[in-house]
Amino acid sequence: MKNKKPVFLTVYTALFFIYIFAPLIIIFIFAWNGGEGYNFPLQGTTWKWFLELFNDRMAIKAIKNSLVIAVVSATVSAILGTALTLAVIKGVRKFKTALLTLLMLPVLMPSLTIGISALVFFRTISFPLGIPAVILSHVSISLSYVLLSMMGRIEGINLEIQEACIDLGASWFASLKDIIFPILLPAILAGWLFSFMISWNEFIVTYFLIGTDVTLPIYIFSQLRFGISPKVNVISVLITIFTILAIVILVALRRIYLKIRAKII
Amino acid sequence: MSNISKNNRNLLYPGLLWFAIFFALPLLVIIIYSFTDNYIFSGSGLHFTMNNFFAIFKKQHYLLILGRSLKISFITTVFSIIFSYPVAYFLAKKTRFDRLLIVFLMIPFWINYLIRIFAWKLLLSENGILNQLLLFAGIFDEPFKILYSQTAVILGLIYTYTPMMVLPLYATILKIDSSLNEAARDLGASRIGAFFDITFRLSLTGIFAGTLLVFIPALGSFAIPAILGGTDSMMIGNMVENQFLHVGNWNFGSAFTIALAALSIALILFYSRIFGLESIYRDRGI
Repeated sequence: MKNKKPVFLTVYTALFFIYIFAPLIIIFIFAWNGGEGYNFPLQGTTWKWFLELFNDRMAIKAIKNSLVIAVVSATVSAILGTALTLAVIKGVRKFKTALLTLLMLPVLMPSLTIGISALVFFRTISFPLGIPAVILSHVSISLSYVLLSMMGRIEGINLEIQEACIDLGASWFASLKDIIFPILLPAILAGWLFSFMISWNEFIVTYFLIGTDVTLPIYIFSQLRFGISPKVNVISVLITIFTILAIVILVALRRIYLKIRAKII
Repeated sequence: MSNISKNNRNLLYPGLLWFAIFFALPLLVIIIYSFTDNYIFSGSGLHFTMNNFFAIFKKQHYLLILGRSLKISFITTVFSIIFSYPVAYFLAKKTRFDRLLIVFLMIPFWINYLIRIFAWKLLLSENGILNQLLLFAGIFDEPFKILYSQTAVILGLIYTYTPMMVLPLYATILKIDSSLNEAARDLGASRIGAFFDITFRLSLTGIFAGTLLVFIPALGSFAIPAILGGTDSMMIGNMVENQFLHVGNWNFGSAFTIALAALSIALILFYSRIFGLESIYRDRGI
């Protein structure tokens, strides 16, 4: 029984992966297809959709806005999130579980609730909708994801090094900057990337808070509702390539980190 | 020592403050809206009332949407469990390449789900790719019409959220000791019996965790029914969007949003109850 090859499970898993990737394959095909619609047989390859995308002001603006929102939110959440995680895991003793549960709410609650309540809040205090509102809200969500992704790493570090460092005359801030920060750097970068991806893909909260401005998911959504240009396929191809690059970078960072740690120990 | 940990604890405040102002406070604001019948700064003071919640149950239209959303999310969750269980089992127990495959599985997940839903629209539409293939192969004589229906919405939700089910399931099955299964077999259990009595039971925590990750976002989904659904597939999300962006009834919209949040939180609490029971189960050494 042990040596029997699980034929059914292997085939099933292969089919499952095809199912998961099928839409991407379709999108890739039609990003280069010469025809106007989405019909077989295919009509030769073309780069014209790429050119059309780069000439589409709205699309370029959407990509730019999305990048700005994602970079700013990721940077703020990585900094605040690292401090927060360090404090919750290593500093707080009373109400630790309650605090962790509270901070996990953005992960577990429907984005719709978060988006609606942020919309009502900003409108109530007359804060203008737009990119700043989106960033403020994205950070409050990403903090939880940074906490989630860094918790394990921070539980693993031994704060006796920090104590030793301070006993030898360093200030508390220096111990943080020279000891804790370098140890956590790969985890901080991973947290940054994680919250970047969340902001970059976030649709529902952005939809309610963006006002008259546009981000990439908003642009795609409007395209989906009112006629579908193959330009959207080109965006998807670019995002896919970008995503794979990000994953490769993340894996490489992990490798480098493990190597460095192995050397130290 | 105590000074260090005090300083470390102070790192809590900037993040917590941000969280309190931009996450917790807005929630508080819509809770207030849901229990009142006017605007907070209208100047005439707040009148507390339960009418917004009663209104949900008064109109059949709202109850219908609530029931439909629950039904669609339930079906989505059940199918995502059925679809992902064999995959999670294979990844956890039958292959050495599990970590690589998990990374692979995550690639489409990181690409905006709107784009993937758009691809499904291409696949499923009346003159879409699937229909063209099926007609060409002579399997069907007429194109099937599935787009703009509840079925299409469910298919889209299953597709989008099934990877969320695979991950916790994989993690739990990975931790199950294979020798338990072998022991059951040695004691005379059939293969299927051993699977259901040992593996399946021990993976229940994974199923519940996955259920949270699938059911809650499905219940609050709003883009997928808007893109793939028709007039009969409006869900809570579409209804709430309508209340806020078109009708402008904040008090009623807030009540509906709070009802959605309450349903989700009830589910989370229910899960933690079962998770608690499960850990007692584990402490006995089973």
